[in-house]
Amino acid sequence: MIEFKNVNKWFGKLHVLNNINLKIPKGEVLVICGPSGSGKSTLIRCINRLEKIQNGEIIVNNTPVHDKLTNLTKLRAEIGFVFQQFHLYPHMTVLQNVMLAPVNVKKIAKAEAKKIAMEKLEQVGLTEKHGVHPAQLSGGQQQRVAIARGLAMSPEIMLFDEPTSALDPEMIGEVLDVMVNLVSEGMTMCVVTHEMGFARKVANRVLFMDEGAIVETGTPNEFFDNPKTDRAATFISMILTH
Amino acid sequence: MMGFYFSRLVEIYPFFLKGLWMTSKIAFISLVTCTLIGVILGIFRSGNNIILKRIVGVYVAFVRGTPFVVQIFIVFFILPDWGIQLDAFSAALLAMAIMGSGFICEIVAGGIDSISKGQWEAAASSGLTLTQQLRLVIMPQAMKVILPPLVGQYVLLIKDTSVISVIGVMELTRVGWVTVVRIPEGLMVFSLVGVLYFSISYPLILLSNYLERKMAVQ
Repeated sequence: MIEFKNVNKWFGKLHVLNNINLKIPKGEVLVICGPSGSGKSTLIRCINRLEKIQNGEIIVNNTPVHDKLTNLTKLRAEIGFVFQQFHLYPHMTVLQNVMLAPVNVKKIAKAEAKKIAMEKLEQVGLTEKHGVHPAQLSGGQQQRVAIARGLAMSPEIMLFDEPTSALDPEMIGEVLDVMVNLVSEGMTMCVVTHEMGFARKVANRVLFMDEGAIVETGTPNEFFDNPKTDRAATFISMILTH
Repeated sequence: MMGFYFSRLVEIYPFFLKGLWMTSKIAFISLVTCTLIGVILGIFRSGNNIILKRIVGVYVAFVRGTPFVVQIFIVFFILPDWGIQLDAFSAALLAMAIMGSGFICEIVAGGIDSISKGQWEAAASSGLTLTQQLRLVIMPQAMKVILPPLVGQYVLLIKDTSVISVIGVMELTRVGWVTVVRIPEGLMVFSLVGVLYFSISYPLILLSNYLERKMAVQ
C-alpha cells in the first residue's frame, strides 16, 4: 500500500532520510520511533508530500507520490494526517472543521457531509461538542477532533505525527483509545510515537530510526524486549526511565 | 472684511462641493483598486514563488522609498515620453493604484505570514487546493490581523489624494488653491478644505479604532 524505494532527502547538508526502503502493506499498524532529529516525522510527512524528497520513489496505492503529474489533491484526500499540535482551524466550529474537506474536496452535499461529520465525532466521543470552537476544548479533545477531521474523508491510510506529545499526561489515554479503535477497524496506520503501551498493544511492527536511517525493525515485543542493536537498546532504556 | 469674504465663500461653495465629489470619486475608486491589487500582490509576497516574491519586493520598495509626488510626476510627465498618454484624472488613478497597492500589499502579506505554517499543512493534507487553503482557512484568519491597519491605510490614502492637485485635477486641495487666489483668506479657505477631508476620513478612523478593539478581544 505504501512503498519507499531508496528514498533520500537532505535539509541543506543534513541527510534527514538516508536510503529508506520500506513496505507497509494494507491494514498494517506501523509504529515509528527514534530520538528527536532522527527523521521519523520527515519520513511520514513525505508520504503525503508535505515534504519533498530529492531522490528515490514513494508509491502509495500505485501512485508515485513525488511525480510532478500526480494529482496531489486526490492523493491527499486518501491519506489522513494528524499533527502533534492538532492544527484545528480556530475560526470554525468543531463541526465545520470536520466538514470542510468533505464539502470542498469531495464535493459532498452539506447535509450528507454533516451526517458523516457527526458520525466521526461520535466515533471519537465528541458529538456534544460539535458547536463549539477549538479554543474551548482541552488538548485531548482537540486532538480527537483532528482525528475525526481526518476520518471524515474516509481515508485508507492515517498518518500520526507524535499525536500525544503535546498533551498533558491525563489526556494521552483518551487519544490513544480512539486510535486503538481505529486499528480494530482495519485502518492502515503509521504512527510516530514513543508510547510503548500503544505499540505493544496494537502495532504489527516497530521501526526504529536514527540519523535518517532505519536502524532496526521488528515486532513490538521483539523490539522492546530484545533490541538487536545497541543504539536501540540505549534508546529503549531512555524512554523507560524518563 | 471677513464678512465680505464669507459671503463670497458661500457664493463659491458649489465649487467646493465639486472638489469634494472629485476627491471622493478618486478616493473610492483608488481604495477599491488598491485593495484588489494589494491583496493579490500580498499573496504573492507571502507565497513560495521566489521570483514573484522578489519582483513584488522590488515594487514595494520602490513605492515605499519614493515620495508620492515623484510617482505622480513619473506617471503624468514621463510615461507620455514612452508613448503612454494619460489625462490628469487617469494618471491620478494610476498613480494612486501603484502607491496604495504597495502599502496594502505589505499589510496583507504581514497578515498572511502571521498564520502558522501548520494551518496551511492541515488544509493541504486534507486535499484542499492552494486557492481553497487561502480562501477557506488562511484568509478568514488573516483578515483579523489585516483589517485594522488596512482601514488605517485607507485614511492615509484618502489624505494622499490631495497630492494629486499638483497635476491639476480639480479635487478638494486644488479647489482650495484656486479659491485662495480669488479670496485671500487662506485660513478660512483651507480650514474649510480641512474640515471636508476630515468629514470623509473621521468615520474611517472611528472604524479602524473599533476594529482594533474588536480584533484584540477575539
